[in-house]
Amino acid sequence: MAKRAIPEINAGSMADIAFLLLIFFLVTTTMDKDTAYVRSIPKPIKTDIIPPPVSERNMLAIKANNQNQILIRDEIVDVELISDKVLKFYQANEKQNVDGNFPFYSRVSPSFIEDQIKGVEKQIEELEKNDSPKEFIDVKFQELDAWMKKKAALALYGGSSLPEIDFQANIRIEVAATTQYEIFAKIHSEIEEALYELRDKESKRIFNTSFGVLKRKNSLDASGLEEKDKLELLELLYPARIIEVTPKR
Amino acid sequence: MAKFKKSKSGEMPGVNTSSLPDIVFMLLFFFMVATTTKETDPTVIVDSPIGVKATDLTPYKQRSEIDFAYLGKPRNTKRLKDFKMGFALSLDNVVDANADQLYSTESVSKWKQAKFDSKPSKMRAPIESVITCVKADKSAPTGLIFDIRKQLQNVNALTIAYAVREVNK
Repeated sequence: MAKRAIPEINAGSMADIAFLLLIFFLVTTTMDKDTAYVRSIPKPIKTDIIPPPVSERNMLAIKANNQNQILIRDEIVDVELISDKVLKFYQANEKQNVDGNFPFYSRVSPSFIEDQIKGVEKQIEELEKNDSPKEFIDVKFQELDAWMKKKAALALYGGSSLPEIDFQANIRIEVAATTQYEIFAKIHSEIEEALYELRDKESKRIFNTSFGVLKRKNSLDASGLEEKDKLELLELLYPARIIEVTPKR
Repeated sequence: MAKFKKSKSGEMPGVNTSSLPDIVFMLLFFFMVATTTKETDPTVIVDSPIGVKATDLTPYKQRSEIDFAYLGKPRNTKRLKDFKMGFALSLDNVVDANADQLYSTESVSKWKQAKFDSKPSKMRAPIESVITCVKADKSAPTGLIFDIRKQLQNVNALTIAYAVREVNK
């Protein structure tokens, strides 16, 4: 067969096309990453039952006025020192219950957890036998779930008991309607800084990895299962119970 | 002078540009991989405050499990007095609201629900866990943030994120 020379395609304008695409992507995309503090909003409740009072030592109220000043437990505090106050709140009684001004810790033993699980299972059986309302049974199932989680957490934690802060211990953020967002964000930043420090220390001690790495792995997994049990343990040890109080007008 | 004059031997040889497309494509792929698409150009001026140890939202953005709301002073300064406390809310999608509600916190419920409904039911995360990221200006009053929070609570969208600019301490 006679060889015929194949004519070359002129690719001179390929660069132009690629440049067009490149410029399109340069314009429509952004390089900076978005960072934020993720918080959950409580479910709206339709009840007028007054909740039981929380004792003074279990509350850490961080108040900010419209002059952007911070008040913690009747003491004017510099914004940079909020994290120290939060650290103190968690650590004061961590080793031993010594300070009556801060939340107490309880130590949960494996046998106690087993007893509780058995007790709740029995209650569920009885409720089901008596055809109780579904809501009642659901509450008990949630309770059972919480104890199961504690059991798993203790197994991960090792040791003979799991230190647990008072279930009422909470951090309240009380701001005025005209407080600047900068201060509000700063309070969240300081709380997060303290919590990170506490959790990171435990994470390094138990798992030999930093808390940041665990969190990152978890957020990259769409199902949220990666490293979930480890994070749950750390969050059980240092729970972030943050209450944001809606300012009065 | 004539000593240096080059003899006109022929035409200048052209630079070979056949690898130029390859270089540009490489650049293109770099930008495609390293960046994320902008949600919108907000019509308000937002200067975020700084913070430490914030959560990186990029994985949520890639999974479209996040909506953005921008709270700041309007770029159009003539309209400053039209808004509550001088701050307007810009949302990352069109809202079917009347003119009075359009840039106020009152349209948040409608917007959030509409954005949630627009996704096919098998492909969306439950509304409680779809993050609403509020990007507020430093000087924005916190009262408005709580208004947004209340609106989100009404449609059962129970995850909020307060945007900050991450700094390393």
